Amino acid sequence: MTLSRRSLLAGTLAGAATTALAGCGSANTNPVAGQSTAIPEKPTTITWWCHRLTDRRNRDLAPLMIDAFERRHPTVKVRLLRSPSDTDTNRTTLTTQIASGSPTPDVYLGDVVWPGQFAHNSLALPLDQFVPKDYWKRYPAALIEACSGEGGVHAFPFFIDQSFLFYRRDLLDKHGLRVPRSWEELADSAARVRDSGDVASGFVWQGSVYEGLTVNFTEFLADAGGSVLGPDGSAVTVAGDAGERALTYLRDLVATGVSPSAVTTYIEQDSLDAFLNGSSLFLRNWAYAWAAANAEGAKTAGRVGVVPRPGFEGRDGAHSGLGGWSAFINPHTEKLGASLAFARFLAGDGGQEALLRESSYIPALSAALDSPLARRLNSPVIDNARKLELVPRPSSTPYYPKVSKALYTRANSAIGGSASVRASLSAMETEVRSALKGAVL
Amino acid sequence: MKTLESAPPEAPPNRAAAAGGKSRGGPGSARRQRARTGWAYTGPTLFVVGAVTIFPILFSVVLSFTSVRMTYDGFRIESFTTGNYAALLQSAEWREALLFTVFYTVVTVFAELVLGTLAALILERLGAGRGWIMALLLVPWSLITVVSAQLWGYIYDASYGLATWFFDAVLGHAPVILGTPSSAVGGMMIADIWKTTPFVAIIVLSGLVMLDRDVFEAAEIDGLGAWSTFWRVTLPQLRPVIGIAVLFRILQAFGIFDLPFVLTQGGPGTATQSLAILGYKTLFQNLNMGPGAAIATSTALLVLVCCLLFLRAFRSQVSEGELR
Repeated sequence: MTLSRRSLLAGTLAGAATTALAGCGSANTNPVAGQSTAIPEKPTTITWWCHRLTDRRNRDLAPLMIDAFERRHPTVKVRLLRSPSDTDTNRTTLTTQIASGSPTPDVYLGDVVWPGQFAHNSLALPLDQFVPKDYWKRYPAALIEACSGEGGVHAFPFFIDQSFLFYRRDLLDKHGLRVPRSWEELADSAARVRDSGDVASGFVWQGSVYEGLTVNFTEFLADAGGSVLGPDGSAVTVAGDAGERALTYLRDLVATGVSPSAVTTYIEQDSLDAFLNGSSLFLRNWAYAWAAANAEGAKTAGRVGVVPRPGFEGRDGAHSGLGGWSAFINPHTEKLGASLAFARFLAGDGGQEALLRESSYIPALSAALDSPLARRLNSPVIDNARKLELVPRPSSTPYYPKVSKALYTRANSAIGGSASVRASLSAMETEVRSALKGAVL
Repeated sequence: MKTLESAPPEAPPNRAAAAGGKSRGGPGSARRQRARTGWAYTGPTLFVVGAVTIFPILFSVVLSFTSVRMTYDGFRIESFTTGNYAALLQSAEWREALLFTVFYTVVTVFAELVLGTLAALILERLGAGRGWIMALLLVPWSLITVVSAQLWGYIYDASYGLATWFFDAVLGHAPVILGTPSSAVGGMMIADIWKTTPFVAIIVLSGLVMLDRDVFEAAEIDGLGAWSTFWRVTLPQLRPVIGIAVLFRILQAFGIFDLPFVLTQGGPGTATQSLAILGYKTLFQNLNMGPGAAIATSTALLVLVCCLLFLRAFRSQVSEGELR
């Protein structure tokens, strides 16, 4: 009965040690072994983790997708779990939940850059075992590459996101300027219109310390003919001439005032706000900005044009960062058949058609973009979607967050002027290299 | 601290039970009975504290010495290693984070102490309005940091922020407060000082009103001026209270997370990346359990050592003061 502090401590320590040792030695076995992959005949309810997506009328898209699925598969009910809208918070919440072994959510919508890390950490179910070999050929190759990690494809593609250059048609007309065909021309035009006082700044994009800057930077890097990693995925090539051209251009945009210096704190919404309230001539943003810029009541409604991003002089343009969201399956799901059915529905003909019909997201399924329905929509975003060359981020490494952090922190310093372009690139290279080796700090 | 250690209600019957352990019946068994009841009552609390506080802390210490991999069956500890700490010491990023955290702690705690003491001295002189002023003062302190950080985010916003507008009007150009390393650090410190100075002020005020009036009278009779009275009479007597305030503040400031998380995400570059932010990113974003746990453990250890050193230094000063 005499329970001293010492014995309490000893007990807790022993408990900790036992837990630690219990973790040792267990193999990474197939978590869904023995479960049927067929759609259940008895009523089954699964949960779907999804952030707020909007349809054309700014309503919640998820219930519409669920309705369309439930009509096809009356035995399966899908319950919506609302995930945080911030990607990083979303991921943190999910990883904590799944790593602790929770079977909920059965299916979750995840970012296109997650599969590498999620596969390595056993947070997503490998899917090649459930689909025919040529199943993935119906999607853009860059997208399937992004959906892959150790052990194959880990996510059913739902929609992709592409970036575009948005411009104020009215102001370009007023100043007798054409839509710029190169980044250099864009900078000149932007400076001219800004100097006239019609806009406060020329060109806004996303330069804050976060994933979005990695996207912006890798796009300009591709424009300049470079890439973060070499073709084999192991050599780090970010600090070459292309890297210097890309980063110098971005830095000069800020240094010459073509982009406001606040751009180093901009995420998507900030840049969109600046464009929508009429203070910028050009905007780099994802496809959704088209709908926002033309929404009823927007200052820019009817005055905006959209084109693929231009390139640097003497080089090809039309590069677009590859964004988007895919359906992952929780490896701890106890309802494999129903979960597979739902995830495959989202990625398949039925789901993709519903997506195209109801929302402005770009379907992942290549065939959906060529469908009569797609042509009828008459959307410049959909029409341009297949013309773009998708630039994937180096996300198949399990250490992608660390790689990305090296890119966006160093690029941010260079753009803001607190470090030189060369020093930033060489720091980037060192850090990416050590991240790829699995060095954690 | 001392009182806390000897405070548990079960301690007296416990000791008594141990002393009279061999005897049967009589007062001994009644005491044992009471001890048993005591344990029965505190048992659930001890269990919960053990399960949600002590076990996770110890487990994270264990994790910091391991190479862990996440599998479908949960954590798999692949080996025990000191490599996480070695990596920490070699990492420039960790050193930067440590430097920022220490610098941030020293500056904010010092500023809060000075401003808080000043505020307390003024408050003490106030008559009727003191209650109201104190309530107003406590508003920043009572705000959840995430909320106040959002407010400061609006003030510092590079496009429509109040501070940005002000500097634009006065200096003629708008600085990007959170986009430049020095101003981001400074801005964050101001937000922290704004929020926690009232806390220090209230603690110091509580010490001030308890001070012995006779000493002040004696000082006046001895012809000591206001300035000397403050330095030689007020301050030495306030030392224990100030010590508590500083201790609390060090503990809190060293673990700073919410302000940079909301305001800058550790940026620009890595200028405002505190140890806690680095630990969070390592653990929850990069999913590197071992190194993340090592950052958490080393941070806890560092702040513990800092506090112990501070207490020791302060205690000797206090006793010197008493001797005089």
